[in-house]
Amino acid sequence: MKIALFIPCLVNQLMPQVAIATLELLEKLGHQVILPKGQTCCGQPMTNSGCFNEARSTVLKLLNAFKGVECDAIVCPAASCLVAAKENFHEFDDSPEAQAVINKLYELTEFLHDIAPVEAFTRPFPHKVSMQMSCHGLRMLTLAKASELMSPGYNKLEALLNKVPAIEVVYPEPHDECCGFGGTFAMDEGAVSAKMGKDKASAHANTGASYVVGYDPSCLMHLDGMIRRLQLPLETRHLAQILNEAI
Amino acid sequence: MATTTTANHAEKAEIFCRDETRVDWHSKALWLLRQKRDRAASSLPEWEQLRELGSEYKLHTLSHLGEYLEQFEANCVKQGIQVHWAKNGEEHNRIVHEILSKHQVKKLVKSKSMLTEECHLNPYLEQHGIEVIDTDLGERIIQLNKQPPSHIVVPAIHLKKEEVGELFHEKIGTEKGASDPTYLTRAARQHLREQFLSADAAMTGVNMAIADQGAIVVCTNEGNADMGGNLPGLTLHSMGIDKMVPNMEAASVLLRTLARNAIGQPITTYSSFYHGPKPGGEMHIIIVDNGRTKALQDELLAESLKCIRCGGCINTCPVYRRSGGYSYNYFIPGPIGIAVGAQQDDTNTTAWACTLCGSCTYVCPTKVPLDKIISYQRRLKAEQGKLPYGKERYMPMVGKMMGSTTMFNCAMSVARFSLRYLPHSMLKPFSGAWGKYRELPKAPKTSFETWYNQNRSK
Repeated sequence: MKIALFIPCLVNQLMPQVAIATLELLEKLGHQVILPKGQTCCGQPMTNSGCFNEARSTVLKLLNAFKGVECDAIVCPAASCLVAAKENFHEFDDSPEAQAVINKLYELTEFLHDIAPVEAFTRPFPHKVSMQMSCHGLRMLTLAKASELMSPGYNKLEALLNKVPAIEVVYPEPHDECCGFGGTFAMDEGAVSAKMGKDKASAHANTGASYVVGYDPSCLMHLDGMIRRLQLPLETRHLAQILNEAI
Repeated sequence: MATTTTANHAEKAEIFCRDETRVDWHSKALWLLRQKRDRAASSLPEWEQLRELGSEYKLHTLSHLGEYLEQFEANCVKQGIQVHWAKNGEEHNRIVHEILSKHQVKKLVKSKSMLTEECHLNPYLEQHGIEVIDTDLGERIIQLNKQPPSHIVVPAIHLKKEEVGELFHEKIGTEKGASDPTYLTRAARQHLREQFLSADAAMTGVNMAIADQGAIVVCTNEGNADMGGNLPGLTLHSMGIDKMVPNMEAASVLLRTLARNAIGQPITTYSSFYHGPKPGGEMHIIIVDNGRTKALQDELLAESLKCIRCGGCINTCPVYRRSGGYSYNYFIPGPIGIAVGAQQDDTNTTAWACTLCGSCTYVCPTKVPLDKIISYQRRLKAEQGKLPYGKERYMPMVGKMMGSTTMFNCAMSVARFSLRYLPHSMLKPFSGAWGKYRELPKAPKTSFETWYNQNRSK
């Protein structure tokens, strides 16, 4: 398939290793991957603060980067940004061209699980990984069954990771409580955000895992800052990095 | 930004967080309720269907609310119940006072009602010389402690048993140092028994009002509403217009989820249906609007009126558990408190006391889209120019910067350079809450775009 990468600003500017892993992984899987120019933030810091007017030009700039780009799918390695992009594109542009872009948007896990399923990964990753089930991927993209729901269980992340030989997937307790990042919440509500982050990082450490693995770079960045502050024996990894090493 | 002397949510939360042992205790106590809820909900294979049904029944009723309210009133009148209508809290309090003075009531026993908190009934009646005794154990504890509820279902959840022991020793004469819950509960029971026997009238809240029956449902675990309702001849029941359900079927769906979602119980110990006055007695129902009709006019805010006040969203809320019930500047805390009360918060911060994690929406037994409503409340505040935490200054700049490739790339290059080469001890003071509580991000040499142009661009 021909894939256009949607690399959110945080990943582009501060976590390029996640974008590189996503690109290499998709290429190794035989896809043709391009990076449309002129991408920027999805507008989430503004719209989540209620500031829709301030978000407009940023959102439309990102949308324009994808309008008319020839591709089968637009893939993004950040669940929260992807959800925001979908909602904000819809908010500011109701044209068929915008809808065409929205229809092609996929989060990386969704793409690898639902759209172009991967058969198997060959190289073992003999480590215990603790899953960071970030909120927007979980409850807005329904990548797995959230703990609040009593419907039958499924988990797209685990389905993918279990194809990696020798990996052991574990979960912190509570299973899928928010890590406390919440965008500007981390600054506005520093004390509560930090306490949530501390509890979450400690819960991951209590599993005895060597890595915290997730699909949302912003939560991973938050946890990384907390893990280093608490000097916990843990490292954060994006799902793309694990899968890219395993293929 | 409004000038106010009230501390904002972040400030109150920061103070709450200073005692970490207490935060851990508070968070754990509420998470235990969430775990009990999960066990109770998972024991019903039809749980998700019940949530859907509950949501549909409430939406249906809300969209035909006028008809159902009139039907309810007509059926009540047929059974000898006196129905009163109150536009707002003031009217509600006046009506209650009129009824009570007509009967020369000196002492009123009251079981749990968040609506009377909303209307500030207790201080109003006390000013008029009527003694009000809250009879729900938790409510009585906070009443003796001169505090408002910190949670809508477990109002004294912020107090430890030792603190209750001390309070009871001082107020109702229990032994000094005693903190055994059974001992304290027995003492409270004895104390409340005396209040029931000496009361002239009783008042309860309403969990559901059934239109085709002209009946109300009152749910308690302690039977205190029934003790009150069955002792004196005069009973009053206050309800918001949102408590309406069409029939027994709808009521039974909501009854099946209410206590399970609140505290993991299959059903409240007492779920009483009141159909009319006792022989020779009087039964009054006061139906209150107080802003609900206005909320009904907005498609999204209207969904908040589906709430049945189980408190499940509060128990699961990771922010509430770590900031406490008194941080919200509203008598209802947590997600539902923000959803229905954000516009009344003059610190303009409680709408932002949320990470938009969505756990509340998924827990809700009537599928109130709480995270969407909270997000919308922020938008409404922004449109009124009421933004907190300096957002009105920096958000336009962020928007401008992120809309421009050159500006954004420039700023981020500087940021990466600083994070790589300057000592973090020097940067932390400028990084606000981030650096106070966490390490700063490790910055890469270049952006992904630069890497891509060097490694992939044709």
